Amino acid sequence: MQTNMSSQAKSGRSINDAFASHFAKSVFLTIVGLAVLTFIGTRMFTHIDLNLYGYMVGTIVFIGGFFYRFIAWGERPPTKNIIKKGLKLLFRRNTAKTAFNHLAIFDFIRNRGVYRWIQHILIGWGCVLACLVTFPLVFGWMYFTMEENGYYTIVLFGMNVMKVNAEGVIAFFSYNALNIAAVMVIAGVCMALYRRLKNMQARAEQTFIYDFLPLYMLLFVSITGLLLTFMNIVMHGHGQPIMSLIHQFSVIVTLIYLPFGKLAHIPFRPMSVLARNYREHYGEQSMKECKVCGDKFVSIEQSNDVIQVLGINDIEFEMKEGFHLAELCLPCRRKYRISRFSGFPTHQIKVKEANQNAKG
Amino acid sequence: MKKRLYLELENCIGCRSCLAACTQCGGHEQRNRNYVYDVNPFVNRQTMPLMCLHCVNPACARSCPAQAIQIHETGAVLSALVEKCIGCQNCTIACPYGIPKFDTEQNLMYKCDMCIDRSKDGIPPMCASVCPSNTIQWLSDEEIEAKQRQFNLNNGKWVTSMPYLEGETNVKVNLPGILQGVTKLF
Repeated sequence: MQTNMSSQAKSGRSINDAFASHFAKSVFLTIVGLAVLTFIGTRMFTHIDLNLYGYMVGTIVFIGGFFYRFIAWGERPPTKNIIKKGLKLLFRRNTAKTAFNHLAIFDFIRNRGVYRWIQHILIGWGCVLACLVTFPLVFGWMYFTMEENGYYTIVLFGMNVMKVNAEGVIAFFSYNALNIAAVMVIAGVCMALYRRLKNMQARAEQTFIYDFLPLYMLLFVSITGLLLTFMNIVMHGHGQPIMSLIHQFSVIVTLIYLPFGKLAHIPFRPMSVLARNYREHYGEQSMKECKVCGDKFVSIEQSNDVIQVLGINDIEFEMKEGFHLAELCLPCRRKYRISRFSGFPTHQIKVKEANQNAKG
Repeated sequence: MKKRLYLELENCIGCRSCLAACTQCGGHEQRNRNYVYDVNPFVNRQTMPLMCLHCVNPACARSCPAQAIQIHETGAVLSALVEKCIGCQNCTIACPYGIPKFDTEQNLMYKCDMCIDRSKDGIPPMCASVCPSNTIQWLSDEEIEAKQRQFNLNNGKWVTSMPYLEGETNVKVNLPGILQGVTKLF
C-alpha cells in the first residue's frame, strides 16, 4: 500500500510529497484503482448502469470510513507489529490452509458450537455472494448483453467471457444469485436472533446497538432485496421504483456503518491468519524458556514484542529478581504472585499446581 | 452503590468453591477462569485464590492487536470479544499475573470478566457469592476503608493492592491477619 515512503521522504521531490499522509495516499490510490477498473470494465464508460449510481457513491464513502478505521487501528503498536511481521510471512506453506480454515469454513466457530457455525456460514457466505455480484455490477466490471436473441453474453472486465442460454441453468443462477444470498442471510440472521432471544448467556451480555442493530440491518437489506424480486414477478413491477430506493438506502447505510460496529470484524478477520503465521514461524525459530522452571512457553520474538509494546505504554514489569514478568511461564507467573503476597517463594517449589479445574 | 471485589487472602481454606462457582456463571461455558494455589504445599495447607485483578491500566488490553479486550464502565476488564479475538495470545504474555486462558480449538482467549452480567447490576460475582470463608468479598469503598481502619497496624503495612502489585487494580487485595500475627478461625 505505502512502501518506499521513508526512503524517499527526504528528497522533497518524491511523489509521496503530493499527499498529506499515508492515509490520504492509500485512499487516493484505492479510488484511482476503482476508477481505472471501472474504465476498463465499462469499455470506456459506455456500459454504466446508472440505476446503481447511488451504490457507487455509497461505496466511495465506505472506502473513506474503512481506511479511517483501519489506519487508526493499525497505528496501535501491537497491531502494527502483527501486521508488519505477518505480511512478511505471508508466503508460508501453511498460509493457504490457515486462511481456508479461518476465512472460508470458520472451523474455530464450529468448535464454539455447531448452531453458531451454521448461522455464521449462512450469514457470512450469503454476504460474500451478494458482494461478489453487487460490486462488479455497480462498477460495470460485469454486465450482460444480448446480441443474438435468446442468448446472453456475460462481459467481465470488458471481455466477452461466455454466451449463455437465457433460459439455461447458468443464467438462472446469475439472475437469482442475489435472491439466494438474501435467503441465506435471512435464514442465518433468524438463527442468530433466535439464539440471542433464547440463550440466557447471550441475553446477559448483549446490547441492542452493538449486537442487534447489525442483524436488523442485514435483515432490512435482505428483505427489501427479496421484495424487489417479488414486486417484479408477482406485482408486475408495481411499487418497484420506490422499493428499489428503499433497498438502495438500506445497503448504503449498512455499508457506511460496516467499519465502525460489530461488522468491522469482517475486514479485520484476515489478521488472524497473520497472527497464526507469526506464532508458527517464530515458534519454529526459537522458544523462550521460563526463567523459573525452564519450560518453553512462547517464541522469543513474541516475548520481546510484548515487552516492547508494554514499554511504549509505560508498563514495566521488571522484577528485582532480574526478570521481566513476560519471561515467566503462566503457572510460574501466578505462583510468583502468590509468593509476593505471602512472602514465601512459592514459585521456587518444584510441584505441579494443584487441582485448578474444580472437578474434585 | 459501586462495590468492588476484595480479597482477604489468608482466610482461604482451599475448598475451591470459587472455581466451581466460576464454571456456572453465564458466559463462562462450564470452564473456570480463576485459580487456587498452595502457598507452601510440603509444609502447610495455606492456600490463596488468584483471579484477574482488573488493572486500571490493563497490560492485556494494551497488548491486544485486535482491541478485543474491552474495559467495562464499571472498571471490569472483559474477556475477549469472540468476533474480534485473533488468537495471537499477546495478552497471556503481557498479563503480570498470568491470568488469561487460551483455547486453541476455538482460537479464543477467555479470562475473568468479574461475571459482568451480574456485577454490572450490582450483584456480586459468582466466586464472591459462594466463598464460605470470606476470602472473596464484595464491598463498597467505605467498607474497604473501614477494613483498613480495623486492621490499622501503625507500621504502614496495610497490604492492599499497590505496593505489592504492579499497578493500580480495581480488585483490592489484603493480608491483614498474617501481618498482625492473628490466627483466624473459620
